[in-house]
Amino acid sequence: MNRQQAQDLIASILEIPHDGELQVTLNGVERLGTRFNDCAVSQNVLRQQATLTLGARLGQKKTSMTINALDAPDLIRQSVARVFETCRHMPDDEEVMPAPGQVLDSHEFAYSETAEAIEIETVGAWAAEACKAGAAAAIDLAGLLSVGKMFTAYGDSAGGFAHERHHRCDYHVTASGDHGSGWAEHQGVSIAAADVVTATERAIDKCARAQNPEVFEPRSTTVILEPQAVGDLMAMAFFYGFDQRARDEGRSAFSDNDRPLGRLSFYSDPADSAFPAVSFNGDGQPLAKSTWLDQGRLQQLTTSRYWASKQGIDVKPSPNNIILSGDGVPLEQLIAGTEDGILVTRFWYIRSTDAKTLGFTGMTRDGTYRIENGKLTHPVVDMRWNESVLRLLNNVAGSGAPVATGEFIAMAMPALRVEDFHFTSLSN
Amino acid sequence: MFDLLKLACDKAAQAGCQFADARFLSIQKQRVVSRDHALSSCSDSEDRGFGVRVLCRGAWGFASSPTYTAAEIEKVVALALRIARASALAPRADGVKWAPEPALKLEYKSACRQDPFAVALEDKADLLIAANEVMLRNSAVMRAQGFLSFKRVQRWYANTEGAEMHSDVTSSESAIWAIAVGNGDFQERNWKAPATTQGFESYRKAEFLEQAERVADEAEQKLTAKLAPEGYFDIVTDSENLSLTIHESVGHATELDRVMGYEVSMAGSSFVSRDKMGEFRYGSDQVTLVADNTLENGLATQGFDDDGVPGQRWEIVRDGIFQTYSTGREFAHYIGEERSRGSCRADHWSSIPIVRIPNLFLMPGKAPLSPDELIADVRHGLYFEGMDSFSIDQWRLNFQFGGNAVWEIKNGRKAGMLKAALYQSRTPTFWNACDATCDASHWQAHGVTNCGKGDPMQIAQMTHGAAPTRFRNIRICRGRDS
Repeated sequence: MNRQQAQDLIASILEIPHDGELQVTLNGVERLGTRFNDCAVSQNVLRQQATLTLGARLGQKKTSMTINALDAPDLIRQSVARVFETCRHMPDDEEVMPAPGQVLDSHEFAYSETAEAIEIETVGAWAAEACKAGAAAAIDLAGLLSVGKMFTAYGDSAGGFAHERHHRCDYHVTASGDHGSGWAEHQGVSIAAADVVTATERAIDKCARAQNPEVFEPRSTTVILEPQAVGDLMAMAFFYGFDQRARDEGRSAFSDNDRPLGRLSFYSDPADSAFPAVSFNGDGQPLAKSTWLDQGRLQQLTTSRYWASKQGIDVKPSPNNIILSGDGVPLEQLIAGTEDGILVTRFWYIRSTDAKTLGFTGMTRDGTYRIENGKLTHPVVDMRWNESVLRLLNNVAGSGAPVATGEFIAMAMPALRVEDFHFTSLSN
Repeated sequence: MFDLLKLACDKAAQAGCQFADARFLSIQKQRVVSRDHALSSCSDSEDRGFGVRVLCRGAWGFASSPTYTAAEIEKVVALALRIARASALAPRADGVKWAPEPALKLEYKSACRQDPFAVALEDKADLLIAANEVMLRNSAVMRAQGFLSFKRVQRWYANTEGAEMHSDVTSSESAIWAIAVGNGDFQERNWKAPATTQGFESYRKAEFLEQAERVADEAEQKLTAKLAPEGYFDIVTDSENLSLTIHESVGHATELDRVMGYEVSMAGSSFVSRDKMGEFRYGSDQVTLVADNTLENGLATQGFDDDGVPGQRWEIVRDGIFQTYSTGREFAHYIGEERSRGSCRADHWSSIPIVRIPNLFLMPGKAPLSPDELIADVRHGLYFEGMDSFSIDQWRLNFQFGGNAVWEIKNGRKAGMLKAALYQSRTPTFWNACDATCDASHWQAHGVTNCGKGDPMQIAQMTHGAAPTRFRNIRICRGRDS
């Protein structure tokens, strides 16, 4: 849905008679997804969905209602009436804020003409080529190639409006041999045949080098974490720790804690070139660049409009992407500069173990290798680790350039060399 | 409602498909969330649409639409066929072997006595806010929260074999939690009303208030709890804690699609290879794990699965020995079974069905045994209650779980609370360390409503259950540095 179509639809909804303030959010997605395993397609799916969310506010009362019909005027009228009826029964909440009422320019940082032109057959053909490469290498390949074509629009009865089209392309592939596996991905707002080939070759190469792993007795050691591992961990840390209100109320790892965390910067920026994102949030607020850690120094964290008004500080909406800066050292150089350590391709199943110290646990997966005297010497059996992100950021001893990663949230993350990383037990 | 679904099947059959099915879903949800003295949100949603799955020349195609008209049916079938042709560019060498199933006409409705969508919002607010106010009476509690969540899924299913099935399942879920701040720390404690396919009748205000007082008190106690010891100890798990361990270390491990590599790129595979059927010692002889998609009020009890197979009951582990897997119609042949176990589900009309964990539970002990008696036989150990940190590797072997509240056991009695305790083990090691589980009078069911699997991710629900159970000599580690 283009900007004019979205504007017309939202205007028609806002014209439906209602008592208080109405917010309208439209989300649409057409996602082509081909999933394969054992070098054959196992699922091929086209998902087309659109949702309309109506937010009703009556003074300090607020409710929402979501339906999946954008072309059903009667249902939309009934839903508007219903959401206000429900709203009347809500108790007052002092934290309810009026709609922002801002008209936002359409930046469409995350729109890609290339992705828009991709058809079902193209996705199927690229996946088939990947399968052929796996079969030629006598390696089982499993993965997902997905292209999402989306739009998001917002409007409110205070005059606010925003609209952007955006894309999300995800290719991740696991290559499995008899005694080890390798993994690679391409993430971003666009994808080309060459990206699929590059990631496939990388996974196959990782797999070839992962066969017959040896036991590395779990202990604290130097690690080099590739971008996916860094991203999965930082996304969890962001979710658990980077809220200003929790910090102010003593419910955060950063409460009463202003100690520097290394020297990297951690920020969000919808215009980031590595992995751009939609430039407004679901509440119609603009998203500008926000820095959470400035060269390791903690800044104001995500702050709702209510908390900002109560504390007299700036609003910092939850972002649509996260980026960790890096020094741009190539992965090969990070490895070459490591006397004794472990290279981690990927983390898996990260969960919080302690919110106070931003402690997490997880596993290595699909390509874990021993580094000795600056060289990868052999694969090692996957390991569980328990580690605090506060400690980890202070123990960064080298970093690459941020690259796009993240299946669930857009991220750009560098590879990191981290000293004294805690491996605790062996996997399979 | 079935007419258009049958039209889709007819169109697919006319196009030469060996199999096709069509599902129409109407999904209604409501989530009410409380924060301290107010409701922070009330979100309703209604979502309808249909999906058509076709198997043509050995390749799958799937397409879906929210517009339920004859014209749209034809369009979506054509799209599904086009996608199947794209799938055929990389076909499975041995094709798809689809397990036979009689073409049944089924009707299923869950036992919801009080429709949660008809209950006044004021009553929901009263329940949650009253619980919050009890928690906030404790001065250590900085934040009190809770939620009520309801879902009703009406599903119509038809396939080219002539099946016509309809289900109407309402499920309910609620929890409250307190976050206490003090002593240079913050700690959370929660209580979950077991999620079931019952309605609002399962929620009693008196129980919420009673639990709220305990939750607040234990959140405060956690602030001054000592750090857990490290080393090897006997542990006792309550039924809620063990439900999650069952889910992760048995439920996912015995999904046959994982074993066959279909989930390798995302959720992973499984250590439970096919050669282990009927022979592998999964656990001690105390361990019998039963799958049951007919379990009363079970979240996976839906009458039939999304392959059109009725719900069934079977043993996954009997007296410690691994028996068989959870399957769908595409997978039964891989283990020489003629019929699917009926455990293939999709989370939405726009999602393709995949093998999911069934309702799965540990059978209670046969001899009378109370939790106090279970603990009495532990000299120095830990008692884990509720769910917390949980992580398991992609083979479902190495795992590490915490508890929402953990107590030290000293000389056969629960002593003080512990902080940051985690138990870490490997699946067969852990289940073989089970030496006793309490009797049926202490058995409880717990719903899981956020089971993620598939790629793209689908979220499923199912019920697990256990009585308090004891495991000997399990490794304990800490989630926080000393």
